[in-house]
Amino acid sequence: MTHPLTRRDFLKGTTVVFLGASLGAGQDAPAAKKTRVVLVRHRDVLDDNSAIHPDILQGMLDEAVTRLVDESDPVKAFGKLVKPGETVGIKTNVWPYLPTPHDLEAAIKRRLIDAGIAEDRIGLDDRTVATNPLFVQATSLINARPLRTNYLAGMSGCIKNYIMFAPSPEALHPDSCADLGSVFKLPIVKDKTRLNILCALTPQFHGRGPHHFSRRFVWSYKGLIVGRDPVAVDTIGLRLTMAKRREVLGPDQELPPVPKHIRLADTRHGIGTSDINAIELVKLGWDEDILV
Amino acid sequence: MDELGRSIPKAIGGWQAAGEDRIYDRKTLYDYMDGGAEVYLAFDLRQVWTRKYASPGKGEIALDVFDMGSPEEAYGILSCDRQDPPAGIGQDSTYGFGLLRIRQGRYFVSVMAADEGESSGRAVLEIGRAVVRALGPPGPEPDMVGFLPREALRPDRTSYFHADVSLNNRHFLASENILGLDRTTDCIFAEYDTDSGQPALLLLVRYPGAERATAARRSFLSAYAPESDPEGLAPTKNNAWVLAVLRDRYLLVVLESPSPDRARRLAASVAIPAK
Repeated sequence: MTHPLTRRDFLKGTTVVFLGASLGAGQDAPAAKKTRVVLVRHRDVLDDNSAIHPDILQGMLDEAVTRLVDESDPVKAFGKLVKPGETVGIKTNVWPYLPTPHDLEAAIKRRLIDAGIAEDRIGLDDRTVATNPLFVQATSLINARPLRTNYLAGMSGCIKNYIMFAPSPEALHPDSCADLGSVFKLPIVKDKTRLNILCALTPQFHGRGPHHFSRRFVWSYKGLIVGRDPVAVDTIGLRLTMAKRREVLGPDQELPPVPKHIRLADTRHGIGTSDINAIELVKLGWDEDILV
Repeated sequence: MDELGRSIPKAIGGWQAAGEDRIYDRKTLYDYMDGGAEVYLAFDLRQVWTRKYASPGKGEIALDVFDMGSPEEAYGILSCDRQDPPAGIGQDSTYGFGLLRIRQGRYFVSVMAADEGESSGRAVLEIGRAVVRALGPPGPEPDMVGFLPREALRPDRTSYFHADVSLNNRHFLASENILGLDRTTDCIFAEYDTDSGQPALLLLVRYPGAERATAARRSFLSAYAPESDPEGLAPTKNNAWVLAVLRDRYLLVVLESPSPDRARRLAASVAIPAK
């Protein structure tokens, strides 16, 4: 056993094993060799009933992806991620209480088509991706899901979203889902993920009951966290989750138990970076109550 | 569990059963509970019977009846997530923000409205009352609850469980399973009032044998309080103390104690029966 992180370490502030060093350091240091993650927010993307304005959401996605790949035009930006003739799978999430919004799926699909992907070569699936022909044949994947907490893994983000690619998802549950990062090394997935979109329009920062859901623990953050590295994207997602938990639940409950899989996806499986100092976080749009 | 479905009304307070009732067991629970299954599998769950109720324009209510195998296990699953006030339904229950949680005998019941409103809240409570009528008599608490000293014990804050997933959701202790908890261990977590206003915490673990208890104490102190003295006592933060002591196959851990003496007295007052 490696030295475990204990509650005492956490209260002493030595949470670098989960979060790296201060985010401020990460932003101030030169951007070279860093993994870019874009956080884009828009005040008006949701109405008072949390209904999505599709055009604004499309604009947010476009803004994030153009900035991510340093391209001015969204179609050209997607053209840097996928090529005409490819088969592309959009790994979505159908969890009934907080699914990937259909408007986000549609926005992704629209830009894939604009970039030259035939509509009938675009897969959209969650539970059956491991056997879905469009995903089995896919040469590129787009990973899109909402940000929420999870009883077992601490946080459900882009890393956990790929669990349905595993031959036995339950086999990844031990030790707080420590080895979720291993899924990204399966042949059906390896080196295929072009974009990770952690939907933070209405993230969930805590859970209750058998289904780990209550509307009181969901808030209108109105953001998307976008990057090419799922570990870096989830690292920012975890930081946002913790900030909200600290604000609402108090410092003792800041850390959802126990999101070790994010760090281990980096240190054990090498699929991305969880070191906050190696992440360039680009913030676009509305910055009120941004928390990270 | 099929019988149960027939004895619970399909129309309650303007809400109608929607779709088919379903039953899941330990192998199929993952198909139903995304992210929460392990919490239930850490107990002796046998089956869960589920039904959805719907009302036009008011959303959906999920009714889940868990056969936990014994009243003690039903106590456990309810006790690990107590955040709401009592609901006065069944043997014990809590309700808040559209979530009703009940234990009755060996059953644990969850009734949840995803979109909380006045109408759905009333329906949730009504469904809960109807379910309890179908569940049979009450059952006993875990024996270890009776070991706890009552003086200064915070009511409704005592939890019973087996595995580290439950401990970490109740009170995050460590990123690894430093106490060696699993389905063969029985645990009680309790809170005690202190003069400081912050509760002292007591974790009582019963292992299958004394050897495992000894190994767990060693592991715990090494990871959590490496500076502890031979008694198993160490200062932590803000003048708080941690203590880990053994009594045969029981490990007693006191956390956040305001003083060494308070920690010793709390541990000593646990009424573990003689062998």
